[in-house]
Amino acid sequence: MKKKVVLIFGYNDYALEIAKNIRDTYENILIYSLNEEFDRAKNKTDFEVRGFDLSDRWDDIAEYVDFKNSIAFCVLEDSAQNIFLTISLRSLFSDLNIIALSNNKDTANKLQMAGANKVIPLVQTTAEIISEMMEKPIVKEVFHTILFEGGALKITQIEMNGTNPYLGHEIFELDWNIKYGIIPLSVIQEDEKNEFIYASKIKHNRVKEGDIFIIVGYERDIQEFEKVLGRRDDVNWRNWSR
Amino acid sequence: MGYFSRLIVDAAYFISTSDAYQRKKRFFYNVLENNRYSHKKYFDIFMMTLILLSVAILIAEVKHEVPLNIIFFNTYVISIIFFIEYILRLWISSSVSETLINKSENDIMLGREFSLLRAFFKVFKIKLHYMLSFRAMIDLLAILPFFHELRLLRIFVLFRVFKLFRYTTSFQIFVSVLSTKKFEFIILLMFASIVIFVSSILVYIMEANNPTSPVNTLFDALYWAIVTISTVGYGDVTAVTTQGRVVAMFVIVAGISVLAFTTSIVVSALSEKLDEIREMKTIEDIRKLKQFYIICGYENVAEAVAKKLKNSTKNIIVLDEDERRIEHAKRDGLVALNYDPGSVESYKKIGIDLSAQVKSVLCLRESDVENVYTTLTVRSINKEVNIVSLLMDDTNRNKLNFAGVNEILYPKGLVGMIAKELIGRPVAFEVIHALRNDYYGVNVEEIFIDERVSQNSIYVGKLGCARFRVVLLGIYKKEKKRFFFNPLDDMLLESGDYLLVVGNVVFIKDFDKYLHKKSVV
Repeated sequence: MKKKVVLIFGYNDYALEIAKNIRDTYENILIYSLNEEFDRAKNKTDFEVRGFDLSDRWDDIAEYVDFKNSIAFCVLEDSAQNIFLTISLRSLFSDLNIIALSNNKDTANKLQMAGANKVIPLVQTTAEIISEMMEKPIVKEVFHTILFEGGALKITQIEMNGTNPYLGHEIFELDWNIKYGIIPLSVIQEDEKNEFIYASKIKHNRVKEGDIFIIVGYERDIQEFEKVLGRRDDVNWRNWSR
Repeated sequence: MGYFSRLIVDAAYFISTSDAYQRKKRFFYNVLENNRYSHKKYFDIFMMTLILLSVAILIAEVKHEVPLNIIFFNTYVISIIFFIEYILRLWISSSVSETLINKSENDIMLGREFSLLRAFFKVFKIKLHYMLSFRAMIDLLAILPFFHELRLLRIFVLFRVFKLFRYTTSFQIFVSVLSTKKFEFIILLMFASIVIFVSSILVYIMEANNPTSPVNTLFDALYWAIVTISTVGYGDVTAVTTQGRVVAMFVIVAGISVLAFTTSIVVSALSEKLDEIREMKTIEDIRKLKQFYIICGYENVAEAVAKKLKNSTKNIIVLDEDERRIEHAKRDGLVALNYDPGSVESYKKIGIDLSAQVKSVLCLRESDVENVYTTLTVRSINKEVNIVSLLMDDTNRNKLNFAGVNEILYPKGLVGMIAKELIGRPVAFEVIHALRNDYYGVNVEEIFIDERVSQNSIYVGKLGCARFRVVLLGIYKKEKKRFFFNPLDDMLLESGDYLLVVGNVVFIKDFDKYLHKKSVV
């Protein structure tokens, strides 16, 4: 039987950090180490480590991985090898969700061209956070808490159901912050493009069934809001670029 | 020690420990000599204006009748100002009280009888040394036009022009550059002097007895030699005999060589010192900055951080010991110095006040060893300044903490956290990422509530966010160190609060302006 698996390619600190952070969410985590490093890597961690090379022999993966619901992280430290790995996986498994790590803008573009669903631009993200620490320390602190720390304040995605009373209302009229204590940040409508609530081009758009709102609020308020207006849509890959 | 001597030494101790006296002396030192003192430039401009006025009046006097009050201003007022300046410079050039104290302590230590006369003689020697310095002589000569009645002394107004050099640092730099080639200039001067000396005597011998020759005296010969060797050749005094012309030919060739050598020495001195001059200028500019970030090490992350911070109101200074990386930083339009950020000497050379001028020191080398070293260096100079460092290997976290880093950023750990978000709440993550990066013109900003705004007793409900189409995400109360998400309408804004506002960048700016302008709600 095929399983929902997280495949991490590359045995290094990035791979171990990813594995540590997602072990509560995913039961099956496999770290693939390049064959030349495999002997050094296999007994050093609690996670299952397997060897691989960059040839196209992926039969064992194809046998047990449910590609639609699985994710592959490509975190090889050599950029060229990482791009080659991404293109190999994409050419064989079109449904697999691939997240790749890039060290610079050039590599990020190539990884996207090679078929990665999402690229983590390591240098840019690090720089973003450092500059935010300097210029907007409170914004950094609040976002860091919302995103990465298990505080009471949460950000989540809610899909509008067919019975909610706001259907047909203009987006800029929404008063959810007063009624439910939550603040909507952005919305994904039919065209599947993510738009901020405050963007002028959508302020007169009307709320429709199936719209996905990104909201910020306390967990208990979000639960109340969910009961009335929609259901939580925790994973959504639809708007990811390919 | 005699009673009078003891009285003088006690007075010296009193002056030396008097705060008021030292403060005044420091003030005059800053105004007159300290290039880092921000108000010195105003004094310099004032003095330069006086000098130019003085010269302009001198020129006007040659052919025009100048009103008496202007002559009075030029002769007395300007001269008295220069005299006061001269006295102040003489005062701050050395400390009389310290000289007396040192002399007395030395004598006591060596078991000698303290002699007030010898002590004053030492003071006099030190002051005389200053008075005989080139700069002090110029200052003194610039005061001489005070004795206006002696017409010859009026010409000393021109010495005031030399005083201009005191107030222009670029000229001082030029002189210091040329002084590095002192030896070459002396050789050249000796060569030119010998040529002038020999040729003028030769021409005098060959031409003086010829009635048609304009060279009649040794002075004529000397004048001719100097005019010829300088390749100016006025033609008013020329050699008419064949022998004299032969000498002229040699002098002309020698003159061309002297000119060529002089040019090449000046050019080589300038080109050798060009980088140093630029560096000096950069340091001078840095010292004038009010607040800036220091980025230590210019590698990938540092480059990206600098690009992000470039839009900030604060400046960025890059320090790196690697010349290639510094060139890269300069190409990126940053102020960069090829100094080792891990060396105390580097910070001494720059001469900045880390507490007052530096907002944060960012240790962004992609090596924990280098970052720990730089942190320790900065901490050894200043305990207060905020230090942020990259961490490349989590096992070194404690070392960075121990060295005194305030905030650590571990990129590998960040990847793990991002991965978790991406597989759980990809769109939410994207939204925050977009907000952080000002995509689609929508941003999140911190608006500071200062005392003036808080005096208006503004409640959240009266902020008028909807009118400006911005959303108040929350309020950060600095006093309580707590973030109030989606605050209620009756929450009062207090001084020190920060509003976190989401919206279009332009609308947020308008909202900020409105908030700080409005007088009463």
